[in-house]
Amino acid sequence: MQKIPLMLAKAGMTLAKDVFRGNSPIGFPLCGKGTELTDALIARFEDMDVQTIHVAGHPVWEDGERSFDDLLRELDDRFSKTLQEPLNAVLYDIHKKYLIKTMGGDSDRQAE
Amino acid sequence: MDTRTLPTLPCVVHKLNVLSDNDKSTVQEMARIVSSDQVLSARILRLANSPSYGFYRVSTISNAMILLGVNVVKSLALSSSIFAIMEKDSVGLWEHSLAVGTAANLIARKLGLAECEEIATAGLLHDIGKVIISIKCSEAEKDILTLVRERRMYTMEAEREIIDTDHAEVGGWLSKSWFLPDKLSEPITFHHNVASSENHRIKTAVVHIADVLICASGFGNSGESFVPAVQKIAWDTLKLNEQLLAELVDEVEDKLVEVKNFCLEMMGD
Repeated sequence: MQKIPLMLAKAGMTLAKDVFRGNSPIGFPLCGKGTELTDALIARFEDMDVQTIHVAGHPVWEDGERSFDDLLRELDDRFSKTLQEPLNAVLYDIHKKYLIKTMGGDSDRQAE
Repeated sequence: MDTRTLPTLPCVVHKLNVLSDNDKSTVQEMARIVSSDQVLSARILRLANSPSYGFYRVSTISNAMILLGVNVVKSLALSSSIFAIMEKDSVGLWEHSLAVGTAANLIARKLGLAECEEIATAGLLHDIGKVIISIKCSEAEKDILTLVRERRMYTMEAEREIIDTDHAEVGGWLSKSWFLPDKLSEPITFHHNVASSENHRIKTAVVHIADVLICASGFGNSGESFVPAVQKIAWDTLKLNEQLLAELVDEVEDKLVEVKNFCLEMMGD
């Protein structure tokens, strides 16, 4: 599952979470998960002030977006000066788990 | 550095500060001041009408001010004037600041702290010293960036070596010259040294943690290549634990998609 700005949504993607008006869980429900997006649906979301949606898989690879391995290497680099600090080590582990959860598990590119 | 030539605070913000310090001033008076600035008026109405507040069809500034509260309006006035200075500058730092403001707000709400809006504003402004250094000492800034890159230093260390001060201190001077309240100037001045913050340590700790979280996620570009050490005193002040931190990282990362979206929209305009 990937959370993407509506600007990057394309027809053919599949919703992984319900969509509500105004992106608010108390908003009027607009569309259920599992629905395949169409241009008309995306335009309707735009009118209803939906800013982000969750889609299945990891369909959006922005220009310059890095693969899981690259992201992990960058994370290691960023933490290279402070990993010996106990609290930073905790934070590093949390970030690493987050990366694996969002990129490793259901990434289409990873599976290739 | 000559503090007299620091950028000035727009007079709208100054007048709002004066009015809100006076018990006798009315919301209508403040609304009149705000109405004189079309960009600020538009932002306030947009916020009051946004789904996160749940009020709909607020069309006058005075109604919006009553609904949002004077403090929110002041934060908004201040932050939009910061953006006016910043937008000309580097996009990376702007993204970083916006993300730290968002993260600070999220942390403050999650911990049930008072004055979340002020904490968010402090987060937004925490690196304002970097903007000033870049405007006032653009030559030195290049040397600082070179040092950071070549000797794998923190920006603070490089700034100390080249200009004998650092962005937190410069941010502190600016907040003094703008007569910002202590609850904003302390987090700005001490976000790399939480222990020195005496009166607003909780707010300073939130901004410090927010800064570390955003550096860790690699969002935006503050000019920093390495995640700063999480200060134990900030961790203790906020009574953080591993579980709480994991939840915060999850929520912050989720929110960053919206921040990115906002940045894309702003740059598209």
